[in-house]
Amino acid sequence: MRAAIELRGVWHTYPGSRRWALEGVDLEIREGRILAVVGPNGSGKTTMLKLAGTLYRPTRGTVRLWGSDFWASDGSQRLRLRRLVVYVHEKPVLVRGTALHNVAYGLLLRGYPPEEALERARSVMERMGVAGLASRERGQLSAGEAQLVSILRAVAAEPRVLLLDEPTAHLDLEKRRRLASLLRELRDRGMGVVVATHDYLLARRVADEAVVLEEGRIRVRGPPGRVLEV
Amino acid sequence: MPGEALEIAARSLAISGTATLLSSTWSIVLAYMLARSPRASRLLVPFLEALVGIPTVLVGLLLYLLLSSQGPLGMFRLLYTPKAIVVGQAILITPLITSVAYRVLTHSWSMYGELALALGAAERQAARLVFSESLPGLAAAVVMGFSRAFGELGVALMVGGNIRGYTRVITTAIALEVSRGEFGLALSLGAMLVAILVLVSLTLRFLGRLRER
Repeated sequence: MRAAIELRGVWHTYPGSRRWALEGVDLEIREGRILAVVGPNGSGKTTMLKLAGTLYRPTRGTVRLWGSDFWASDGSQRLRLRRLVVYVHEKPVLVRGTALHNVAYGLLLRGYPPEEALERARSVMERMGVAGLASRERGQLSAGEAQLVSILRAVAAEPRVLLLDEPTAHLDLEKRRRLASLLRELRDRGMGVVVATHDYLLARRVADEAVVLEEGRIRVRGPPGRVLEV
Repeated sequence: MPGEALEIAARSLAISGTATLLSSTWSIVLAYMLARSPRASRLLVPFLEALVGIPTVLVGLLLYLLLSSQGPLGMFRLLYTPKAIVVGQAILITPLITSVAYRVLTHSWSMYGELALALGAAERQAARLVFSESLPGLAAAVVMGFSRAFGELGVALMVGGNIRGYTRVITTAIALEVSRGEFGLALSLGAMLVAILVLVSLTLRFLGRLRER
């Protein structure tokens, strides 16, 4: 099966920094699989996810989405490819408006009529058991609720690959359990999921494959049962 | 004097308000371009920040040399007109509005711009979200620019000439009253200047709160 996203020989450094955040990373992300990315703080997990989500352009190397070199593509091709992947930031960022509006926001950006976008958003929130949050303004949500809303916003957009950066950072035990079950459901529906996390329990519970990043390099990759023992 | 003071206040508001509107237009566009271009911002932002505190008399002097009848822009006959003050104040506050707006937009882009792109937005949609979420910060940058323009003396005096009924603004009127020894009148004009600045700032804050609701 062809990889949905491929990082080939990717090196990345931030403007003004002399340090490589990533050094020669090769990675394949497939649809219908959950990949866990673990590693200490500053190991390059977020950078790798943002490169895979095409939010950053690599300093060296290529990022291919469904076989196309993203950064060599033209504007309309880039937009088409970018809409197949959604990255969810560790710190939930919500736009002005209610939780329901936020969950619908990705669909609105994609040109869905407002009624349909809101209906889909409502259905995603109901499936996750958080329909009660729908009418709350962003300032009225707890950190955990905001994180859940930002994850559901990505899910509602129905990408083919979902990139989650520390998705459980603000979630309580019950919400973590619900998230794990949602991720498995998405995987079974054919979505590719990448979870960058310190939560080894979540990684072991849901991942099909895991990689360990250290100092910008992939040190180990393989089945979570083996890799996460390292 | 009360009637004349009100006329001077109205003229000051019109001149500094126009200068702020003009300067905000290009400063916010420039700030957005810098926020989207880390390489250019590394070169330009320190330069702009250094210019924030440029003495108003220096801007006034340079503009005087440009606009005087022997200067390269002398044919426009702008010297000692309200338009000359508008241009001078707009130039004076450009580094201030640009550098504050740059900070606001850079922070906002790292949150909302990335969010929009991550959700599949086109650059135009991302920019719209960034501007919408940055409005309070951008309004603060504009108010700061207006305050600097409204309270400056050097440009208004050098290229405006403090002509009664034509280019006299609050700050030049204060300078004139001090030179005449009319300290009471000068202090009253000063109090009016501060009151207008506070009123403008409070009005914008109020509008910002209304928008948040």
